[in-house]
Amino acid sequence: MGDSELAYGSSLTLDSMKVIAESVGIATLGDDAAKELADDVTYRLKVIVQDAMKFMHHSKRQKLSITDIDHALKIKNNECQYGFIQPDSLPFRFASGGGRELHFIEEKEIDLSEILSAPPPKVPLDVSVRAHWLSVDGVQPTVPENPPPLSKEAQKLESVDPISKLSKPSNKDSAGKPICGKAARLKASESVHVKQLATHELSVEQQLYYKEITEACVGSDETRRAEALQSLACDPGLHEMLPRMCTFISEGVKVNVVQNNLALLIYLMRMVKALLDNQSLYLEKYLHELIPSVSTCIVSRQLCLRPEMDNHWALRDFAARLMAQICKTFNTSTNNLQTRVTRLFAKALQCPSQTNNETGPSMASMKESEKTPLASLYGAVQGLAELGPEVVKVFILPRVRWLGERVEGALSGIGGADRLAAGNLKHQLLKVLAPVVRQLRQPPDQPEDYKRDFGYLGPSLQQAVSKIRSSPSCSTAGGAVAVVTCTPPLLPTAPSPSPSNISHTTKTETVTTRNLVIASSTPQSPAPSTPPPQKFVIVASQQKPTQIQSSSGTGHIVVHSSQPTIVRSQNVQSVVVTSGPAPGGAAQKLMVVGVQPQHNQGQAPVSVVAKPVFARGGGGPQPPPELDDLSHLA
Amino acid sequence: MSEKSTPLLAVLQLLRKYNLKSTEDILRKEASLGDVECESLDLPEVELASILTAHHTESDPFTYELAYDGLKKFIENSLDLYKYELSTLLYPVFVHMYLLLILYDHVEHAVSFLEKFGIEQEDYYQEDLKKLSIVKHKDQIKGNELAEIYSTNKFTVQLSRDASSQLKRYLHEQKNSSVIINIINNHIQIEVHDGPGRTQAQVRATAGGVLGEPMKSENRTKVYYGLLKEPDIQVLPAPVEDEEEVEETPDKPKKKKAKKDNLFMKKPKSDPNAPPNDRIPLPDLKEIDKVEKGKALREASKRVQLGPDSLPSICFYTLLNSGHTAISCDICDDSTLLAVGFNNSNIKVWTLTPIKLRGMKSAEKLQDIDREAGDVLVRMMEEKDRDTCRNLFGHSGPVYKVAFDPFKTMLLSCSEDTTVRLWSLQCWTCLVVYRGHVWPVWDVRWSPHGHYFASSGHDRTARLWATDHHLPLRIFIGHYSDVDCIQFHPNSNYIATGSSDRTVRLWDCLTGSQVRIMTGHKSTIFTLAFSVCGRWIASGGSGGDMMVWDLSTGGPAASLPPAHTAPIHALAFSRDGTVLSSGSLDCTIKLWDFTAITDESPIEETLNNPIPKEDKYLLQSFATKSSPVKGLHFTRRNLLLAVGTYESSA
Repeated sequence: MGDSELAYGSSLTLDSMKVIAESVGIATLGDDAAKELADDVTYRLKVIVQDAMKFMHHSKRQKLSITDIDHALKIKNNECQYGFIQPDSLPFRFASGGGRELHFIEEKEIDLSEILSAPPPKVPLDVSVRAHWLSVDGVQPTVPENPPPLSKEAQKLESVDPISKLSKPSNKDSAGKPICGKAARLKASESVHVKQLATHELSVEQQLYYKEITEACVGSDETRRAEALQSLACDPGLHEMLPRMCTFISEGVKVNVVQNNLALLIYLMRMVKALLDNQSLYLEKYLHELIPSVSTCIVSRQLCLRPEMDNHWALRDFAARLMAQICKTFNTSTNNLQTRVTRLFAKALQCPSQTNNETGPSMASMKESEKTPLASLYGAVQGLAELGPEVVKVFILPRVRWLGERVEGALSGIGGADRLAAGNLKHQLLKVLAPVVRQLRQPPDQPEDYKRDFGYLGPSLQQAVSKIRSSPSCSTAGGAVAVVTCTPPLLPTAPSPSPSNISHTTKTETVTTRNLVIASSTPQSPAPSTPPPQKFVIVASQQKPTQIQSSSGTGHIVVHSSQPTIVRSQNVQSVVVTSGPAPGGAAQKLMVVGVQPQHNQGQAPVSVVAKPVFARGGGGPQPPPELDDLSHLA
Repeated sequence: MSEKSTPLLAVLQLLRKYNLKSTEDILRKEASLGDVECESLDLPEVELASILTAHHTESDPFTYELAYDGLKKFIENSLDLYKYELSTLLYPVFVHMYLLLILYDHVEHAVSFLEKFGIEQEDYYQEDLKKLSIVKHKDQIKGNELAEIYSTNKFTVQLSRDASSQLKRYLHEQKNSSVIINIINNHIQIEVHDGPGRTQAQVRATAGGVLGEPMKSENRTKVYYGLLKEPDIQVLPAPVEDEEEVEETPDKPKKKKAKKDNLFMKKPKSDPNAPPNDRIPLPDLKEIDKVEKGKALREASKRVQLGPDSLPSICFYTLLNSGHTAISCDICDDSTLLAVGFNNSNIKVWTLTPIKLRGMKSAEKLQDIDREAGDVLVRMMEEKDRDTCRNLFGHSGPVYKVAFDPFKTMLLSCSEDTTVRLWSLQCWTCLVVYRGHVWPVWDVRWSPHGHYFASSGHDRTARLWATDHHLPLRIFIGHYSDVDCIQFHPNSNYIATGSSDRTVRLWDCLTGSQVRIMTGHKSTIFTLAFSVCGRWIASGGSGGDMMVWDLSTGGPAASLPPAHTAPIHALAFSRDGTVLSSGSLDCTIKLWDFTAITDESPIEETLNNPIPKEDKYLLQSFATKSSPVKGLHFTRRNLLLAVGTYESSA
């Protein structure tokens, strides 16, 4: 019986019977007896399973459960199987050895005292009723409680095979949109079989929605922006507008990179983040637009007007995190996304001379123009770091020496921006490398060894590593790079001994308001492998009267302070930290976009993105209180 | 006895023929056959031979395959006119051949026979074959549910006169193998009908029952499917304050009638199909019930007319955190309460309106109340406790059905613990435990007029109860398998049951007899719903198939295209009877144009219309977000309420 392939698993074998007999103390069971028993037990088991099906159906389930079997046993006047109560199926383990194969259920030995001393398990949530409209007069509203009008699979199918959409123009199942007359007519006159073009028509409502959303996303009103992003991240049924959204983002990035409009770039990246978070969208189709945009925001040479002033580092960090999220979500063996992205960043880190010479020429021998800008290096390092410690080990660690030379060169140089960049790069490198090095090297950390192995950055790295080793929290973190999220003292205004202080002092008089916006991830981030780490943002600015604004919304906290503040954000949607005289923040935020009217006044509006912005920038007053927007992702 | 002894008698006759006297005596003694019978065995020569050879061939495993193959070839080669009717023979012959092979201990042959021809059987029989295939020993035939059904009952096959004579001729030609003849004689009932042979579609429409089609004679009884004449209830001209007494004047409502919407008043007048109002004694309406009825009529006058162009709005109640535990639900007639039965024996009742659920005062406090006061009903309620949800504990097994009575003062529930319980929605306690079913009770339903209720269960019976009797008034026996669902006819005179034997039966509450048996479902029937007019009944099955039956004839009115991919557990008619809604475990709700379904069924001649009419039935389909639909209910104003449990993918 057991040897036939078909019967395997559907009937008990003689061996099983013998094993079972042994387990109850019958050492020698004859083959005939075993066969009789096996047949009979198989039959009875099947009858029980068939009866259990009835209980499953009446429990309105489609999956057989252990209780169904129990009930089936009960109606057959048998005792239930005690001790197998489990909501899901019990894992069935397999072991083989000594020519015998065995399937069994693992029974762990449980220490009773451990259970008794353990805190009681959480009380399960009580059942509650919640009502929503599934349909209003025959039309299904696209609210989050309803499924998206076009499922992800259908969107995928459509992208792979656009014809499939044409074949069924009047899809009854989808939410009722009236079939437009043109398509109906085309369908009617089928004399010549012409391959139809897939039309992407947006209804008036959708056009309106698109306009509202895009304006809100790049506009000046922070609360509206939050609402718009929330809508992008949660609403089902955006798939029809998705191509336009993606084009909006990629065009916007192109234009604003050229114009070094940092604020808008940040807004656009937050849009990308929102789209990524939306569970109902099939984004694969549009990655070719999104990835270049995101990577531009990571490694671009210049992202803001005044590199020595503006915090473009935050944008790079944020975009790098986005890129990591994209890689994690969409990487498949066919598109090799992660490999390609890694290669992109690694190329930016490539020491131009590494191919020629092992030791590398001195910095002087390289022409200034050949050098990858420090900002790009920073971006590349950050991008790689987000991809995980393994990537750091392979791609950053071997280049530490060269990177150190660059940092050293820039720090000793004269350019203020360069020095700031070098400082940041150094800090970032230490932060990224320390956990990895800690894993790689054994405890006696000698500064000389580090100096020998890692060049200029060696001693600082050694300090960082030994600091990590001594701190207890990191010993549990186990080398996860992402855990270290203490934002470096990026703010040029921070009264710290960072080199940026010099450049800062020159501009202090103009600085009146500072905005720090931290957007924490929306609740449904697709793959939160680790709980979002706590974030500490240290904010400091000049000595102005302190004021605490009341929080503006349920999810938003606005902290207004002139003292260095630590904001701890975990379950808050966004934290806005401002300093200086508070009210009228919104009006001042407008000015960001009005900073460079002189560049654009003569120009025709280049893109949709810029349109509302320029209109305001041209007409409005232009006091230059600068705004520093830095967005973080938990 | 007589059947068994036929071969014996034949042997006796043979012995006498060859004058083997002493052997005959011994046999007679051993079989304890009296002398009386020896005269009756005057069998013709041919039959004698066939009986004797049958004994030989029945035990020869190789003849079965040949005989079945021969029968198959004969049916395939016969004219199209007879082919489809004759093909219904194949399945019962096949099953009995398998069982005979098992019976004669040819297990290997039986298995190979099943493997070879099993896949050729109709798709709706495959499930049964799977169940049958586990029977591999003759001892197992006895005790196996399905094998017993087949061996103790006759499978009914309907053939036209011509087809049956064709069959007879064929069987006559098969002199050498009597296997098929014996099977047909012993296990198959051939009913010959006049008229032409049926087409494939016609045959398929009624095929599917465990034991084939019903006999024509079984569906002859007249069914009074019309609605009862409603007792006249005065509709309040305007919604006055609710607690105010309704001035009950049942004697002189005639003058008011003209004012009323003719929609509600025209039908009860002279329906020739309606049973007399006193055919089944119905309870008198209490004052409070009349108030409720009046409210219902008032609400109904505000009803939205539904149709293909005006679909109902659907309000979906999602039970969160319930997972697989919530298994049954009901919404009371005026849509204010929702009851849910759980896997863990619990019943929860929610209020769907801001009006909170209140319990009755304790007995001591009740004594203080002035019983003559106008607002006594309000006063006897406890003021303090006001909940939006209350629990009812008492069952000791999964609660498979909960049902509100028409006046929402009581709740019935049935459970795996074999009991039906009656709960009070005023005291929030259990009032009665009805024991009677021996095995799990699958379904319980109130009569639309209250007082009576019906239950059905795993013991293959359906029972009719009255709330004031602890024993059932009627027990309806006839189904071959579990009775999975039950439903009262709107006029309370009939009960419909749906079963795992894939038949829908209609029982008369007065006589307790079966008046209709309807086959054609291809899977277990899980839910039934009577149309508002009382003439049609819709059923939904485990395969996601739906059918609509005409009670006047007992035939299928329409077989809806299989739109659902998972068992249907909820059906509901809109209050005006124009839209039928179905909810399934595949997380969709579908709306069907019931007027189209019933309108077109008599008109069959439009054969050449380009769109198959089935396509027009489905109006709209709504998917829920991974929430299997477990209950549907139309409010009096034709808003569709649906209940489902959210099941996260994890």
